[in-house]
Amino acid sequence: MGLLDSVLGRRRAAAPAADRLFAITTAYIDLQARSGVCSAGAAAIVFQPLATGDFEQLVTSVEAVVRSTGEETASSVERSTDAFGYHWMIIRDDDVDDLAVGINAVSDELATGGYADRVLCAVFAFADAQGAPLYLIYNYKRGTWYPFAPAGGAAQERDTERELRLRALLGDGLPVEPEVSRWFPLWGIPI
Amino acid sequence: MPTTTSRLGRDRGLQARMLLTLFLLGLLYAAFMAALFAAGAGAVTMALVAGAILALQYFTSDKIALASSGAKVVSPQEQPELHGLIDRLCVQADLPKPQVAIIDSSVPNAFAMGRSPKHATVAASTAILDLLSPAELEGVIAHELSHVANRDVALMTLASFFASIASMIIQFGFFFGGGQQDDEDGPGFFAVIVAAMMVYAISFVLMRALSRYREYAADRGAAELTGRPSALASALLRISGQIEQAPQLDLRQAHAELNAFYIVPIGLKRGLGNLFSTHPPMEDRIARLQAMESSLQRAAPLRDDVPVGV
Repeated sequence: MGLLDSVLGRRRAAAPAADRLFAITTAYIDLQARSGVCSAGAAAIVFQPLATGDFEQLVTSVEAVVRSTGEETASSVERSTDAFGYHWMIIRDDDVDDLAVGINAVSDELATGGYADRVLCAVFAFADAQGAPLYLIYNYKRGTWYPFAPAGGAAQERDTERELRLRALLGDGLPVEPEVSRWFPLWGIPI
Repeated sequence: MPTTTSRLGRDRGLQARMLLTLFLLGLLYAAFMAALFAAGAGAVTMALVAGAILALQYFTSDKIALASSGAKVVSPQEQPELHGLIDRLCVQADLPKPQVAIIDSSVPNAFAMGRSPKHATVAASTAILDLLSPAELEGVIAHELSHVANRDVALMTLASFFASIASMIIQFGFFFGGGQQDDEDGPGFFAVIVAAMMVYAISFVLMRALSRYREYAADRGAAELTGRPSALASALLRISGQIEQAPQLDLRQAHAELNAFYIVPIGLKRGLGNLFSTHPPMEDRIARLQAMESSLQRAAPLRDDVPVGV
């Protein structure tokens, strides 16, 4: 945000750049080749619901579209709400390409409806060689990815070592968020 | 980078009034500087010393405000819900994570401070955490984060910079002026003090107006961030109801007012004229949030403001 935007209190929401989201597909091929990290077969898009009539309509129709295209690729769609009131549209499919296509279809539809700024992030679930969950989170506002590895257990602790290792493995294939302070955790991920 | 416009529309009138106020302040301060130079080297030196003191205050303001409000910085482990809420709003607002602080107080309030988004702190009282629903709290925190994004602390400090210099000159000028029985300097200093008084009085009214505009802008920013103007309106109603019942409030909080942006002012009585208050009247803020909600609801089927080919 520029200084003039600050002074005038203006806010400009960056629109998602699709190629940055799709970078996950090639990055995943590299990741698989170099390490034991594999897809957990699920991805989700997280957004704030709006209490307007057309928003609910839009989300329902998006879900129907993703579900019908998912029939060809044998993916499934479900929706849930988290403790913060955000909605999760979860797509399950063994193929990361299909997941990226599905997630992009949802964010695209929301953007076309004028709701691009309501999207929080997209989450792709992975598991390392030991089977511990690893996530790659896509920040739509910045068009960057960052790793998130919950340490497990009841406490909200993240395993920074595993996150940094994952980033090192990703190399240049993925636009990774350069500021580590922007690697916002996302607790209670339902995938 | 392609951008989307807000569904809440733009308040161009508000932006114009803000720019006009800033312009008038700039004009006033330029005239003040000219008066200081005209009065001679003594006045300029005094202004420079005052400026240096203020600059020091500016860079330590967040720590002073934090200490004087009794706010305690909390870790994500201590306040997982509040941190989680702020994390998400930071992603939405594209802001770095501020420090999160809690004030152990029975007065429901929240404030933001810090000169830049990288040096920001958002604080909430224990009472506001208990009082508000999650959606209402989200609205209040989004309002505070909008102050951070709009750089209100820096802007208001800068806007008050010359007013503060004027105020220091009034205080110390009498002191120096009384001490020096120099015939050359005497009338010069008297003129400087009169000029400083005028600058102080005019800038006071302008600053208050600017402050009220910043509040409207932060309310609008919060509505844009959360998409729920009515949740913030509901929070404001709930807080104001509580504050009117609350007895006499901690005065230390009033001192930090310039360095911190509260969600609602404390200890301000209604009788005080609108011209002199830092916050717009509650009814007016709620009316504007209601207007945003109805434009949000009405804008729903509109699709012509949607960028093509995103």
